Amino acid sequence: MKEAPDTSQLRPGGGQPADLVDLLARVAKRDSQAFAALYKLTQAKLHGVVARIVPRGDTSGELLQEAFVKIWEKAADFDPEKGSPIAWMATIARNRALDEVRRVRPVSLEDMPEGFEPAAEEIDPMGARDRSEKLTALINCLESLDEEKRQAVMLAYYRGYSREALAQRFDKPVPTVKTWLRRSLLQLRDCLGS
Amino acid sequence: MSLDPEDDLLAAEFALGTLDAAERATLAARRQREADLDAAIVAWEQRLAPLAENAPEIPAARDFLPDIEARIRAATPTAFARIAIDPVAAMQAQLVRWRALAVAASLVAAVVLVGAVGREATRPTEPHEFVAVLQKSPDAPAFAVSVNIDTREFTVRPISAPAPVGKSYELWIIDAKLGAPKSLGVINAADITRADKLRAYAPAVVADATYAVTVEQPGGSPTGAPTSAPVFYGKLVPVGP
Repeated sequence: MKEAPDTSQLRPGGGQPADLVDLLARVAKRDSQAFAALYKLTQAKLHGVVARIVPRGDTSGELLQEAFVKIWEKAADFDPEKGSPIAWMATIARNRALDEVRRVRPVSLEDMPEGFEPAAEEIDPMGARDRSEKLTALINCLESLDEEKRQAVMLAYYRGYSREALAQRFDKPVPTVKTWLRRSLLQLRDCLGS
Repeated sequence: MSLDPEDDLLAAEFALGTLDAAERATLAARRQREADLDAAIVAWEQRLAPLAENAPEIPAARDFLPDIEARIRAATPTAFARIAIDPVAAMQAQLVRWRALAVAASLVAAVVLVGAVGREATRPTEPHEFVAVLQKSPDAPAFAVSVNIDTREFTVRPISAPAPVGKSYELWIIDAKLGAPKSLGVINAADITRADKLRAYAPAVVADATYAVTVEQPGGSPTGAPTSAPVFYGKLVPVGP
């Protein structure tokens, strides 16, 4: 493994990730050195987001590159009022990964490399001290959902499960899963109060 | 809110990622012209995005920064002037794109292979005849390529490839062992093309490679390398002894 970059700034519990906000502002002004610093600080996080949706190593690396090209192109759109830098960047990376898994349909779940089938998607209890206010609020709301519905939302978010994959996973008809997801999302919105 | 409740739910599922390919593509197109739908998607993305803070860090397999910088330079040559131009990195970035494509193609081929594997198990000898369907998507086959692995002669039959106006189709063999894509020559969009240009390559490479078609200037790429992204691609599967 290469030298570990200092990722302490990524932990919102340690205060505002001001350096990332600053780096993104500089990237918006076409500062390639700021871009290199941003890459070093965030690649492991963004690759983590992508690689759990698209487990094949060569594809996840490719998608990571595409995500960073897009981050360079769209940096001026980032608004620190509306979310953290890492949440904004992860949304870009995640959307690209979802486009990929929906475009190239796996033959079946067996197409997943061994060991990649998650037993369950749990909120990391060790991450608790580092949670931002927004994440804490969201997790509290998620915990108000029924166990299976929370699992469905988490598998969709972190693993890119489609309605069909969730239906297979929970052994329920697809329309049932669709109803679960929609009710859960509306419940989350009401709970978050926005 | 003026947005239709069904559209708001579609926006929510778009942000969560649970829509199927067709629904996702439809919504992606609609958000380009429908500002309130776009705003709803962004709002849902922002509600869910804090979850990303909890995603585990998984460092990339290698340092992709040079590749990313090369891509940005290729897209906007002046924007990245502060970083010295590195032609090797640029070539590597190109190669990475082609390799990613090969992975995508292998997934498409895997669908075909499911049917072939059963026969494979009962066949006593090594296969000699291979075929690949080159396509953009599984429902739109464009060319069929058949290869005799012994003579390494190949035949390309057009299935439903529209003739490119004022351009030529060029066939390429792509494999990590070959480095860059290698030309197999211009192919005919309206008639069968036969050639033996695969003789230069080892049978194992021929059998495992990805085959891709690009649109090039009449007569083929002047540089010996593809000048555009492939329009059709696929992998060979064994069809006969």
